[in-house]
Amino acid sequence: MKALQVSRLTKSYGSVPVLKGVSLELEGGERVALMGPSGSGKSTLLNCIGGIDRPDGGSIQVGDIQLEQLDEEGRCHLRRDTVSTVFQFFHLLPTLSVRENIEFPLRLQNIDSKERGERVTKLIEEVGIEKRAVAFPHELSGGEMQRVAIARALTIRPRLILADEPTGNLDSRTGESILDLLESLSDHYEIAMLVVTHSREVTRICSRVVEMRDGALLEEVTA
Amino acid sequence: MREWKLTAVLLLIVALGVAVFLSIRLANKAAVSGFGMFTESLTGQSDYLIRPKAGDIPNESLSILRRELGGIPLGLFPVFEISGTISGEETVLRVMGLDLVAMQNVANYSQGVAAPQSNARGDDSGPSFLERGDLVFSGMAFSEAREIAVGETFILVLGDRRIEVEMGGILPENPNLPSIPENLLLVDLPALQEMSGRIGVSRIEVRFPNGEFRKGIEEEAAAKLAEVAEANDWLLETPAQRKDSVTQMSAAFRLNLTILSGLALLVGTYLIMQAMEAAVIKRRAEMAVLRSLGVTPAEIRKTWLLEGLATGVIGSALGVMIGIGLAQGMVGAIGRTVNTLYYETTSNAIRPEPGEIAFSMGFGVLASLVAVLVPARDAAMTPPAQMMRQGSPGGGLVLLRKRWLGVVLVLIGWASAMLPPWISVSGSIVPVGGYLASVFVVVGGSILIGALFRPVAKLLKWLGQKGSALRNYTASHLAKPAGRHLLTAAGLAVAIGMSAAMGILVASFESTLTAWIGQILKADLYVSGGGASSVENRSTLTKDTWQRIEAMPGVEGADVLNQYRIMIDGKETVLGASDYNDDPSRTLKMIWLNPPADTSERNLLGPEGDIYPSWISESFSRRFSVGKGDSLELPTPVGVKELRVNGVYADYGNEAGMLVMHRSFTREWFGDDEVTQMALYLREGEDAERVAEAVRGEFPSLQVRTNARLREDSLRIFHQTFAVTYALEGIAVLIAVSGLGLALAGLLIERKSELTTLKSLGATRREIASGAMTEGLGIAVVGMAGGLSMSFVLGWILIDVINPQSFGWTLTYRVPWSMFMVLTIATLIAAGLVAYVVGYRNAEVKSDQED
Ligand SMILES: Nc1ncnc2c1ncn2[C@@H]1O[C@H](COP(=O)(O)OP(=O)(O)O)[C@@H](O)[C@H]1O
Ligand SMILES: [Mg+2]
Repeated sequence: MKALQVSRLTKSYGSVPVLKGVSLELEGGERVALMGPSGSGKSTLLNCIGGIDRPDGGSIQVGDIQLEQLDEEGRCHLRRDTVSTVFQFFHLLPTLSVRENIEFPLRLQNIDSKERGERVTKLIEEVGIEKRAVAFPHELSGGEMQRVAIARALTIRPRLILADEPTGNLDSRTGESILDLLESLSDHYEIAMLVVTHSREVTRICSRVVEMRDGALLEEVTA
Repeated sequence: MREWKLTAVLLLIVALGVAVFLSIRLANKAAVSGFGMFTESLTGQSDYLIRPKAGDIPNESLSILRRELGGIPLGLFPVFEISGTISGEETVLRVMGLDLVAMQNVANYSQGVAAPQSNARGDDSGPSFLERGDLVFSGMAFSEAREIAVGETFILVLGDRRIEVEMGGILPENPNLPSIPENLLLVDLPALQEMSGRIGVSRIEVRFPNGEFRKGIEEEAAAKLAEVAEANDWLLETPAQRKDSVTQMSAAFRLNLTILSGLALLVGTYLIMQAMEAAVIKRRAEMAVLRSLGVTPAEIRKTWLLEGLATGVIGSALGVMIGIGLAQGMVGAIGRTVNTLYYETTSNAIRPEPGEIAFSMGFGVLASLVAVLVPARDAAMTPPAQMMRQGSPGGGLVLLRKRWLGVVLVLIGWASAMLPPWISVSGSIVPVGGYLASVFVVVGGSILIGALFRPVAKLLKWLGQKGSALRNYTASHLAKPAGRHLLTAAGLAVAIGMSAAMGILVASFESTLTAWIGQILKADLYVSGGGASSVENRSTLTKDTWQRIEAMPGVEGADVLNQYRIMIDGKETVLGASDYNDDPSRTLKMIWLNPPADTSERNLLGPEGDIYPSWISESFSRRFSVGKGDSLELPTPVGVKELRVNGVYADYGNEAGMLVMHRSFTREWFGDDEVTQMALYLREGEDAERVAEAVRGEFPSLQVRTNARLREDSLRIFHQTFAVTYALEGIAVLIAVSGLGLALAGLLIERKSELTTLKSLGATRREIASGAMTEGLGIAVVGMAGGLSMSFVLGWILIDVINPQSFGWTLTYRVPWSMFMVLTIATLIAAGLVAYVVGYRNAEVKSDQED
């Protein structure tokens, strides 16, 4: 089954069109890089896919879920169960510890504490932050924060991860290791990924690169 | 961009705070000044009043005065004032006897009576109204309320007498003078003496001539008056002094109101602070940009202080307008309470005095400035835009984080509770130590309650173990409370603490009073003169009347009491002359604080030489600083008598204090065999209501109440007194909860990026709202717990320090648990609702979180 099918998506803010008929498909477990100048509509596209924004027209399907048919509550559950997001600025919850941050989506899913504990412990190992499990976000380095954010995105075993410039706020060495992590985990769990980036480095973990200009996708460039 | 809505809210808060403050003050003043003002203006501007220290002044005193003054041309106006009522009515009337012939020469007055009497008859040639002894005069209000027109007759009840009188005329209103009270009747002096059967006058008003002539004699006359007063053991006062001593009795009540109005302002200040904080947070991004463009923190602070000043000025001006309107509505209610409790007053039209207005405005502006101090500092701490990502500063008061300071303040509070009261020049007692202690405890307690956040968070976390991601998340915020959390909880705690402490005071008062009433009201029936409501104006039963009642079928025995208003050490108090029935098992039983050797009537009977035995009430003991075993000098019409205090008893009925003696002595000294009250004990099996009817049948002018009815009346008056308190309590809680709402809104705006994260993780709007609700409830629980704890201490200060010092009453400490329960539940429900709504509104986060 396809992980994502976007077709002829349109969206304007007021009278300004931001997305002008965007179509895009991702196979299960496939990683695609989305590039393009600032203001071209990349984040808007991601927000529509994540159900945070509503498009004006066109359709989005994640796995077998048709987004147009979801109400507000349904969109929340989409993010809770199926689509995770990783941000440039990490967006960890500052008053929760590393462990609690990673655990948070499982609590939203009402998973019992035993299973929660097992899954979180495993993920903490997988992203390599065992030593920081009881620390709070403000005590972490940028790379560590992004590892926590990735672990948090993975806890729910999503079908699709949307990453908006995940290495944009990291030095290149740290960025490299984050990319390695994303690659291995997405392979391991067979999670599709749509990665917004300005950096050519990122394209090395992607099977395809699509470019956005003025709200429309240019022809696909193979990496 | 201006946040016009927030500005409007701010203005409204300031306006309401100032309005409540001003209106309580104005209404209070109007209600109290109603007493003196009309009397003053009626007789023109009297320069002095001559009053007896006890009893009435005999009629001859007027000629004594004239003789002693020699040729000094002073106007002397005797006034005889008693209370009465109209047959079939409950309202107490002030019936004032004036020498109408003499009064006709006084400017203000002559327009009053001279004019209407011609209206009354239509011709000027008829017999002078002064020749008729049954004419009374009133203001428009009296006549309209009762539909009694000039020329009509009605029954006037004075004590046990019923007299048919005719409305002789209506006094016209003078726009420059306060309106004529609805409960005032004027009668010619000799006629009133005739009607009441009492020969004597209540006071003589002295008026100096006007103009140049006055200067020449002023000093000599004043000295001469003082000399004559001294020689006759009279009291010489200026009207201002007189008004002071009358209104002093209600000083405690008014102080209560003043404290409440101060509370309104305090709570207003807190609300402004919260609203201003919210405004700062909303404009944080804008200020961050300004900072990165080089604007200094000092400049930002100044902008906010100016904003506070402008809000204060405009809001206060609005508040003054609202306040004057509110005062008009309130004056009636306060006047009624003052009436029931202290003396008759009329609800005057309120006068928007410039002084009061300026005072309230000044307070409003000051409060706004104080309120904006913290937000302005927060604003000044805004980092330049580049730094914003690292999170904005916590806000709130740094002071609230200093736990040691809280401990120190509470200790200082405890120490100041031990201070003795401060006694002002006019003799009123101000429990300074008690007030200081309250302030220290409130401030110290507000700091200390911050410590409660951690356990509350722990509890929440524990509750959240099984799931609810949002509850867990909220607990993590409460575990590390921001300045805003601390400030909000402190605000709630103060409001709850003060309200609950008032509740403790009222409950303690009520239970003590109920127990006291239960003990002292042992008789079956109580009889008093019609229209008697306070000792300010005596209304008596003649010897014949009370003896006939005592002998009525069904009546086994009676206690009688005669009350006199007396002056001791220049302060007014009451002398109670009692004579109990012969059955010691069926007579009044006092509650003793310091009992005499023998608590029966015998203790009051045997004088030791020239020293007479007496008992005093607790208030008397405190006011005059005398106790058991001390001696006292009592002024009487036959000279000063020396008394010995044999015991001190509890009395919650009167804060002026009471001195009790046996009637056998006072009967001789005061030369009257009348009584003001009777307590009747009925024979076994008699129906009280039936005997009451019989007494009423024979003496329709008397007020006859059964035991149950009197109890009811007493408690009703009590509840009436505290009605204002209850209302303001509700307002305090309401405002504290609004403050919680504002604070929570600020917190959520500040946490906008966290909310976006929550949404991106799939939290629904409702989940975020219930998270906010949990947070609001957490703060409310801390505030409640802190506030209730504070209230126990404040209650103790009120009951064991402030109350005994200012009222002279010992109360039993009593916590109104059921009221606390209601308060807690109501506050938590309100807090939860407000928090949920605020959370729901703020959970509507727009997508773009990168900028
Ligand atoms: N909430 C919004 N309201 C109005 N315009 C928006 C909003 N979010 C984004 N835009 C506009 O939409 C366009 C695309 O923005 P975005 O998707 O953030 O671009 P990118 O992520 O490619 O830099 C920009 O011109 C931006 O100004
Ligand atoms: Mg973007």
